[in-house]
Amino acid sequence: MPELLKLDNVSINFGGLTAVDGLNMTLTKGNIRALIGPNGAGKSTIFNLVTGIYAPSMGKIFFQDQIINKLSPHIITSMGIARTFQNIRLFSNLSVIDNVKIGHHCRSGGSFIGALLRTLATKKEEALIQKRALDCLALMELTDKAEELAGNLSYGEQRRLEIARALATKPALLCLDEPAAGMNPIEKEKLANIIRKIKHMGITIFLVEHDMKFVMNLAERVTVLDYGKKITSGTPAEVQHNPAVIEAYLGKEVI
Amino acid sequence: MDSLLTNFISPYYIKVFTLVGIYIIIALGLNFISGVTGQLSFGHAAFVSIGAYTAAILTTRWQLPFLPSLLAGGLLAAVVGILFGFPILRLTGDYLGIATLGFGEIVIVIFQNMEITGGTIGLSGIAKHSSFTLVVIIVIFTIWSMYRMQSSRFGRALMAIREDEIAANVMGINTTAYKIQSFGIGSFFAGIGGGLYAHTIQYLNPTDFGFARSFDYLTFVVLGGLGSIPGTVLGTTILTLAPEFLRFVAEYRMMIYGALMVIMMIFRPRGLLGGVNLTKTIRTLKKQKKTPLPGDV
Amino acid sequence: MFWQQLINGITLGATYALIALGYTMVYGIIQLINFAHGEIYMIGAFVGVMAVIVFKVNIFIALLMAIAVCILIGVSVERIAYKPLRRSTRLAPLISAIGVSIFLQTLMTLIAGPQAVGFPQVIDDQLYHIGSVTVSKVQLIILFLASVMMVGLQLIIKYVRIGKAMRAASEDYDTASLMGIDVNRVISFTFAIGSALAAAGGVMVGMYFNSIHPLMGVMAGLKAFCAAVLGGIGSIPGAMLGGLFLGVAEVAGVALGYGGYRDAIAFTLLILVLLFKPTGLLGRPIQRKV
Repeated sequence: MPELLKLDNVSINFGGLTAVDGLNMTLTKGNIRALIGPNGAGKSTIFNLVTGIYAPSMGKIFFQDQIINKLSPHIITSMGIARTFQNIRLFSNLSVIDNVKIGHHCRSGGSFIGALLRTLATKKEEALIQKRALDCLALMELTDKAEELAGNLSYGEQRRLEIARALATKPALLCLDEPAAGMNPIEKEKLANIIRKIKHMGITIFLVEHDMKFVMNLAERVTVLDYGKKITSGTPAEVQHNPAVIEAYLGKEVI
Repeated sequence: MDSLLTNFISPYYIKVFTLVGIYIIIALGLNFISGVTGQLSFGHAAFVSIGAYTAAILTTRWQLPFLPSLLAGGLLAAVVGILFGFPILRLTGDYLGIATLGFGEIVIVIFQNMEITGGTIGLSGIAKHSSFTLVVIIVIFTIWSMYRMQSSRFGRALMAIREDEIAANVMGINTTAYKIQSFGIGSFFAGIGGGLYAHTIQYLNPTDFGFARSFDYLTFVVLGGLGSIPGTVLGTTILTLAPEFLRFVAEYRMMIYGALMVIMMIFRPRGLLGGVNLTKTIRTLKKQKKTPLPGDV
Repeated sequence: MFWQQLINGITLGATYALIALGYTMVYGIIQLINFAHGEIYMIGAFVGVMAVIVFKVNIFIALLMAIAVCILIGVSVERIAYKPLRRSTRLAPLISAIGVSIFLQTLMTLIAGPQAVGFPQVIDDQLYHIGSVTVSKVQLIILFLASVMMVGLQLIIKYVRIGKAMRAASEDYDTASLMGIDVNRVISFTFAIGSALAAAGGVMVGMYFNSIHPLMGVMAGLKAFCAAVLGGIGSIPGAMLGGLFLGVAEVAGVALGYGGYRDAIAFTLLILVLLFKPTGLLGRPIQRKV
């Protein structure tokens, strides 16, 4: 099966601390892959590495067979990796639809000169951006909130808007950082369905989530991380029964 | 048209209103950098001075026509803004503000030590090429272009940077490139304002462009409402005219002005029109008129 | 020659350092660039002169009076103009600070007139020769007083309860307040100490250059602020080091024949430091948190 993302012996240190330690990992195209592990295991750091916010201290990251180690986040996004943030980072003082339009930035063109002259090309481009943005909002069931300020949305809506904004970048790989955090069971069920829908659009999904039930129902493969190291990787069923995983999660509490 | 106006208004007030217009152009430039893009600048007056000196030197020493000189001043200010922006816009928040403040003071010292600018004595003998009419036209053009730029893909990218720079970058915006463009555009308008200033006041001295002036422009923008075009226009108008209105308190004028700044910030920390969406407000006001509340009947 | 310039530079730098401490301590706790701080220093100088001329007191008493007045003004400014804006937007307190600065400048111009005032000679101009270096009595007094104050400040911060609270608040404002530290008191205390040091700086500069002016706080304040950034804003030893460094650099620049660019030296250093080590010489590194 074709590889989409490959982490080859990737490490990163902050000061003396090794947050990710010699990680090897391969994401298959079209799959939902979950990354789980206790707090501070390095999950968000891996997202930050993949999306170019951090550069690895060692190792290589391949996306569609290209090394993306030292590329800026905006270039990585235009190559086809999008993400959401664990601690929601929307453009709160802008409208919901503008948030999504900004996501579409790297798939459109136009300079300030075009904006000034408002040429035919600019108008067409703007109409296209508008349409794409509305499509993404419809998918996330946010159409009726389009004109509201992003900061005024409810928590669950904000999480969905993060996904809509990320989808607007037309990604091949979508990294979701705890998308279900703070949601109630009904909202979670809805979210799971949306994520499946996104998968059927041909987008590969990389998921970090704490809710085990959510992960086990959704993911095809699960990778478990602890102290920046991979403990194991496998199907949800395999992982659930792995003693090393149980220890990583419960070990400290037993004492 | 100016001569027509003098029948109604004293030349002194025409000059005051011309200055209001010039400051609006300059302040809108700063609003673009700080209000729209969210990049703090404490050195805006330096770009005004670059435009002012360039235009003035071109018309006085090289005898070039006014409008091309004015444009040249704006462009040079933009180029300097871009060149300076390259290294400096890596900094964020207060650090960026401090660096621009330092830059502004360096520009002044350089002008003080140059011969072509007249050094510390200043540059005099500048012809009065600017007029109230011309300034009004340029103000309208500035406001128009600001609206167009803000409501476009370009403007959205800048606002995204203001809201959350890292998220903007991750959403595919080349933040460095956009910040530099914003700085260049804001500096361009500062330069244009500078050229108009030079040909209105007809005398330039480096000390007129120090950080105190930069803070004046920042005050106009913040008091009006950071990021708001009508707010910037309003803030600039009120604060430029305030010393005129405060003339009756004679020497206490600036004291009151300073105290007013403090009081305004305490009562409206986001500025007069900060967070106010004018078109939306007007629309809801109209609606309220049409559908009276049951209690009103 | 070299040693002579170094002594002159250190004397100038010591006064910058005294003002810089106020900037750095305030920034460390409430992240505000207190642009009115230069005015506190100016007022300190004026109160010192008035005490000597009007009340005919000894210079050390005058110094204490200047300190007392400046503490009062500094703390009131914080209470009136900054405290209501503590949870406001980033720029609001900054604009408020500029307003205060304009207010105080105009106030002093109204009281003392717009022209420069001569500082009476209170210290006899005795010179001491150490090898090829000449040091005046004024210089010695400045260096001595500045050292005493800086050591005193270090002691307060290390060992006194309120000083420890200051360190805690500057480390993490919210946690400090959750831990039961009265942050309002800490902030007032910080402004008091900063104003006291600035007042002392003002009186010393008045003695050193024999001339004071209602606008003297503007450039001195800016440069002291540069010194604070050079050393690493928020860092107390950094402000001292930055001040000394800036004083020496300026004197050296003038000695090398760049007198016309004197005021640009501080700002060029400032930009260079910001570009290559944005946290300053002794500042803590900032982590980009996502």
